[in-house]
Amino acid sequence: MAFLPVLHSEWIKIRTLRSLVGALCAVVVVTAAFSALGALDTGDEEVDPLFSAFFGFTFGQMAAIAFGTTAVSSELHGGSLRGALTAVPQRGRWFAAKMVAIAVPSLAVGLITGVASLAVGTAALGADARGLSWAEGVRGVVGCGVYLTLMALFAAGLTALLRSGVATLSILIPFLLIASFVVGDMSAGVADYLPDRAGQVVFHETWDGSLGPWTGLAVTALWTGAALLAGAWNVRRRDA
Amino acid sequence: MTSIDVQALTKEYGSRRAVDALTFRVLPGRVTGFLGPNGAGKSTTMRLVLGLDRPTSGTATIDGRPYATFREPLRHVGALLDAQAAHGSRTARNHLRALAASNCLSLTRVDEVLEETGLTSVANRRVTTYSLGMRQRLGIAAALLGDPEVVLLDEPSNGLDPEGIVWIRGLLRRLAGQGRTVLVSSHLMNETASFADHLVVLGRGRLLADTPMREFIHARVKPRVRIRTTDATALRSVLTAHGHDAVQHEDGHWTVPDARVDDIGHLASAAGVPILELAAEEATLEQAYLDLTATQTEFTAQPQEV
Repeated sequence: MAFLPVLHSEWIKIRTLRSLVGALCAVVVVTAAFSALGALDTGDEEVDPLFSAFFGFTFGQMAAIAFGTTAVSSELHGGSLRGALTAVPQRGRWFAAKMVAIAVPSLAVGLITGVASLAVGTAALGADARGLSWAEGVRGVVGCGVYLTLMALFAAGLTALLRSGVATLSILIPFLLIASFVVGDMSAGVADYLPDRAGQVVFHETWDGSLGPWTGLAVTALWTGAALLAGAWNVRRRDA
Repeated sequence: MTSIDVQALTKEYGSRRAVDALTFRVLPGRVTGFLGPNGAGKSTTMRLVLGLDRPTSGTATIDGRPYATFREPLRHVGALLDAQAAHGSRTARNHLRALAASNCLSLTRVDEVLEETGLTSVANRRVTTYSLGMRQRLGIAAALLGDPEVVLLDEPSNGLDPEGIVWIRGLLRRLAGQGRTVLVSSHLMNETASFADHLVVLGRGRLLADTPMREFIHARVKPRVRIRTTDATALRSVLTAHGHDAVQHEDGHWTVPDARVDDIGHLASAAGVPILELAAEEATLEQAYLDLTATQTEFTAQPQEV
């Protein structure tokens, strides 16, 4: 069985579920809205203009995670997975097609989110944004696309591994909202390598940790790769 | 000739054997009824045939090949396993379009199977608004999508209204008539009797019978004659004289076990017994099935297992 028909099928499944389309729209809207708020409320302290302009990703990534999780969990309820694997019994190919069908729209929406967030954020920052170079802006936009895609895939891989969207969200959301900050405050060295923190370096104009913007995204990519391998292993191994 | 071949198939879940050294063949051109109480291993066997579960040992092949080796499996095998397989938030048409795309099937086929299952008018409604019977029809539409030579349906009449049950009966007969291989599981005897030519009966994962349905019934249940008369005494004496052990029922009719109408009719006529009614009582699949399970006492008190 060729890969493209399976990919086409998975793409139809994604665009025909309102919750998935809604999650993708939420990524753009939520990120841009919170970036505007964050940039308006910078106060008097020294701000990182790039981080202020992309401040909303903290919330937008929740929508990206919801997208990745739901795209997989929608196949897990009832007999859906059996139906899918009856049509495509080559499970590795099915899983790969599913992940590409998640990654491509995530990247596209992530890039749009980056542009929207940068535009809205710099407008709100006004004079504070002047220190921002073109290169830094492009880095932020590309980073935003890649980071959100990696987070969506991380969630998708984890959902396939745990075979539960609820379990995945109840691990990831508290982790991103709370655990990452707490651990980050306690031990900066280790926390730099957490899946979310590593990738977020790309949103900073300057950094002082051991990871730079691209090496940070590479670390996040390794986490995502591990989650995808674990998810693929579970899909291939277990009875459907 | 596309057959389903199950060879020494065994599946264990932990210490429980859901399917136990099962060997049988499902041949084309007839409807094979797959019978057994809940938990007998019917659904598990179907999942093993479709490569969804891995067997502990043994093999299950379709046309001599494991299911996973088919390049576009929907063109060869159609299956209904679970009426809940379609996501509730998707429309029926989109559900079928996604399935069709994965196997390079045309959109025309989607419309054809929607038409065939009577779902055309509701095809653009979300599946969550469907009744169980409509979901069952959608599952059957999905099974027929690739115009397959082999069709496996797990309890297809579940949730169908009387009209739907008549429809599925006709559909199964038609599929078999076109030379396809049709395996239909059920725990409803009378329903199965209405469409099956051949039976595969399971009990606790083991094969209890693999015979044509008529043979299965006739080997287990002897034909009876139903008779009504105005002269009970005369009837009794003539039957007893010829060694028939007749039973009188409360409403006045008699049943003569292990007898044929031809014999009883002649006897009554020769003896001048007035007859109001004389009929052969067909043995039912249900009686034959209960007779089979009664001889296999361990299957009579079947725990409800999933």
